[in-house]
Amino acid sequence: MTASRPPVLAANSVSMVFGGLTALSNVSLRLQEGQILGLIGPNGAGKTTFFNCLTGLYSPTTGNVELRGRVLPKDPAAVTVAGVARTFQNIRLFPSMTSLENVLVGRHSRMKQGPIASLFHGPAYRKGEQDARDRSLELLEFVGLASVHDELARNLPYGDQRRLEIARALATDPSVLLLDEPTAGMNPQETEATRQLIFAIRETGVAVVVIEHDTKFIFSLCDHVSVLVQGQLLVEGTPEVVRGDPRVIEAYLGKPPDEVQAEVRGYAEEVGHGGPDATQVMEPVRDVDGGSEGGNR
Amino acid sequence: MKEWNEYPDGWVWLGQILLVGAGIAAVVLLVRLLWRVATPYLAERPALDRPLGIAGGVVAIIGALLPWVTFVLNDGPYPDKATLQFFDSPWALSGFRLHTLIIGVLAIAVVFLPLPRRRVLRALGWGSIGIALVNILFPIIDGGGFGAITSDGESFAFGGIATLIAAVLLVFAAKAGGVLEPIPHWKSAVPTLVAYAVLVVSFVVLLLVVAMLLNSGGQGGVGNPYAGPIFLSLLAFLAGVLGALHAIGLTTWISALSDKHKWFSVIVLLVVALALPFTEAGTDYWMTTAANIGVYAATAIGLNIVVGLAGLLDLGYVAFLGIGAFVAANFSGAAAAAVGIELPFVVAALIAAVVAGIFGAVVGSPTLRVRGDYLAIVTLAFGEIFKKAAQNNIGGLTGGANAIPNVPPVSAFGQPFDQPLTIGSVELPSGVLYYVLIIVLVALVMVVFANLKNARIGRAWIAIREDEDAARAMGIKTGQAKILAFLIGAMLAGLAGAVFAHKTSTVAYDSFQFIESVTLLAAVILGGMGSIPGAVLGAALLLVLPEKLREFADYRLMLFGLALVLIMRFRPQGLVPDRHRRAELANEGAEGVPIEELNVHDDTPGDSKAVTR
Repeated sequence: MTASRPPVLAANSVSMVFGGLTALSNVSLRLQEGQILGLIGPNGAGKTTFFNCLTGLYSPTTGNVELRGRVLPKDPAAVTVAGVARTFQNIRLFPSMTSLENVLVGRHSRMKQGPIASLFHGPAYRKGEQDARDRSLELLEFVGLASVHDELARNLPYGDQRRLEIARALATDPSVLLLDEPTAGMNPQETEATRQLIFAIRETGVAVVVIEHDTKFIFSLCDHVSVLVQGQLLVEGTPEVVRGDPRVIEAYLGKPPDEVQAEVRGYAEEVGHGGPDATQVMEPVRDVDGGSEGGNR
Repeated sequence: MKEWNEYPDGWVWLGQILLVGAGIAAVVLLVRLLWRVATPYLAERPALDRPLGIAGGVVAIIGALLPWVTFVLNDGPYPDKATLQFFDSPWALSGFRLHTLIIGVLAIAVVFLPLPRRRVLRALGWGSIGIALVNILFPIIDGGGFGAITSDGESFAFGGIATLIAAVLLVFAAKAGGVLEPIPHWKSAVPTLVAYAVLVVSFVVLLLVVAMLLNSGGQGGVGNPYAGPIFLSLLAFLAGVLGALHAIGLTTWISALSDKHKWFSVIVLLVVALALPFTEAGTDYWMTTAANIGVYAATAIGLNIVVGLAGLLDLGYVAFLGIGAFVAANFSGAAAAAVGIELPFVVAALIAAVVAGIFGAVVGSPTLRVRGDYLAIVTLAFGEIFKKAAQNNIGGLTGGANAIPNVPPVSAFGQPFDQPLTIGSVELPSGVLYYVLIIVLVALVMVVFANLKNARIGRAWIAIREDEDAARAMGIKTGQAKILAFLIGAMLAGLAGAVFAHKTSTVAYDSFQFIESVTLLAAVILGGMGSIPGAVLGAALLLVLPEKLREFADYRLMLFGLALVLIMRFRPQGLVPDRHRRAELANEGAEGVPIEELNVHDDTPGDSKAVTR
């Protein structure tokens, strides 16, 4: 990519230490305008921790994150306002709200109405509300959920819930979208649809970072891939470079550090590539990752 | 016939209570067993619904015509011709026997009509179970023992038992074929004039029903031991009929119409509420009670913002009502007020709201640090701090144990609000002006709630309730939003407190104790969290029930607690649930008990699973 242009999102030597455990050490990352960047690594490598540092949920022990040259604030809400939106590894929609309401919540930070205006429902208020509604419906259309806008999020099929989470994140008008395992639990058709959706998101001018277990998916989607192993950036580069790197093969696919991890990873691989059962919720995989990385939530 | 008071008190009485308890337990076990056996049997025999429905209807009619109680009570026949012998005057039934007759006739009629009959039968069945239980248990517990509802050797009375059997038949009729029919959908695209007419008629009927309910059995008290059972029995009957109307899709249709013509409905509802003093409920007593309900309803709606929308459990909420009341009392010109100036009511009320709001924000600020149970403890502590501070007259603002007495009534145009009002030739009871004032207050609070709920801030509150971290990730400043919820909720309570101060004329610390906070919370949860009609209904029930159950003064809290437990067991989403809450609780709430056993059915897409289970 063109090195001369400043990156949209830059993580500068981010380290994260939980007590005695170093989850991330000196991870740097540059995301260019219009790029799709893949972040891969074995379970427990620190991918989700890194995401949490990017979105302000954690504040890095050392290092910082810059969006268009400005250091991001530590508050997740402020990070979202600045223009970094995310989805969650284990879907975190507002289950008892409708699809449309979920996306409207995403519009929150781009709307102006204060409580006083809300009390009186004046013309300016109603126009703002209508605009937000229109934009939200547009986004639902974009991800293909317009027909279920009045359905409660909890009642949507799993794949639709993942897409609704993306629509909700897009509603915040982000410059950067962070997707945490967007195809977990999807069958091959749904995975392909998600790939097309991410390309379409890039078309709208949003740079995307994707965490994924499914290496085939990542290599066919991303312009640039970074490999995290045990909290350290092992390799980065184009999919071709990363795919061919012997260290990646060893760390990610090859000799396992221990038997247990191999088993877990084998399972993740198998399900990630999609079998007939892959549409079902993949509790085991998400549990393993959530247990090792998200334990400090 | 023996006289009622020939039955002894004391230990014998206790023994009877135990006996009744054992009897109830035995009956419950028996019913459960029957249920276990009958449910799968009936599920495979859909053709049985008609015969069972007809049988239930016929037995109900027989039950209505049979005598119900073998004794003549000291104050005349128990409640309303209940002791009449069969055929004494079969066509002059009234009270609960008339209700039973109506249910029987309706059950037979619905079997032959093209309606979702199993649903209707189920509602009628549960309604008659309520009627039968109330009118069986009251004579037993009130001293008659089992003889009161069976036979004492000289006379017999099997009306209650027959009706109970009829009710079970009706409920079983609804079980035939397993799955219930869908609720028919009436098209809501009707000419505007028709819609208006329907709305006016339904609200007027609602008014008459409310007046009838309030008046049923008269005022509760020592002089009128029957008020409680008559009221409860009527309530069961109305619930059954309402369930039947819901089953045929009528209530859904009316609420769709009122959604469509929102402003018209609001105006009609206001007019109807203001018409209550002109009905049979237009007495001093009911005006005062209705005004109390209004104060509680307004406060409960305020609490609904904090608990129902933002999901922050507040156990000391009544303190804000108290703060509003004390502020208003101090600016009222009462002799005991600490502030010498007398402000007009509206100004004092606004100050009360602002002061309460400030305290709300202060109490709300710990919410930034604590969640869930811990927050509940913080608010609980605040409630206690307020009570103790008021009790000890801190700053000389509360009058301590002496309270602030003689707060002058609100008056407008030279008419004090606590005096009777004469318009032309119509004399309205005293308290009617307070009633009107409180209707206005409740309407105002409702508008505030509804407008905030459907706005940016309301969505933010609900999002925080659902998943606080996700809400933050969506750019919501959760701290601000939570404090705002506390602030607005407290302001509404403060406003209600100002009215309360003038209406009761004495503001004492002991009106604002923990139990009041719990009652408010119960009103919100009982009615359905996040729902306005729910909060009003909850407040009304929690204030009317104790009034009606005065005869059972010693047991009313127990009965009351029991009623709450039962409602939470069988309808955890509340009586009139908000759409979001219903989705959340309807599925998991009826765990073990299939959802179709509940009196009123829900139609969220999610519970189709529960129905077929």
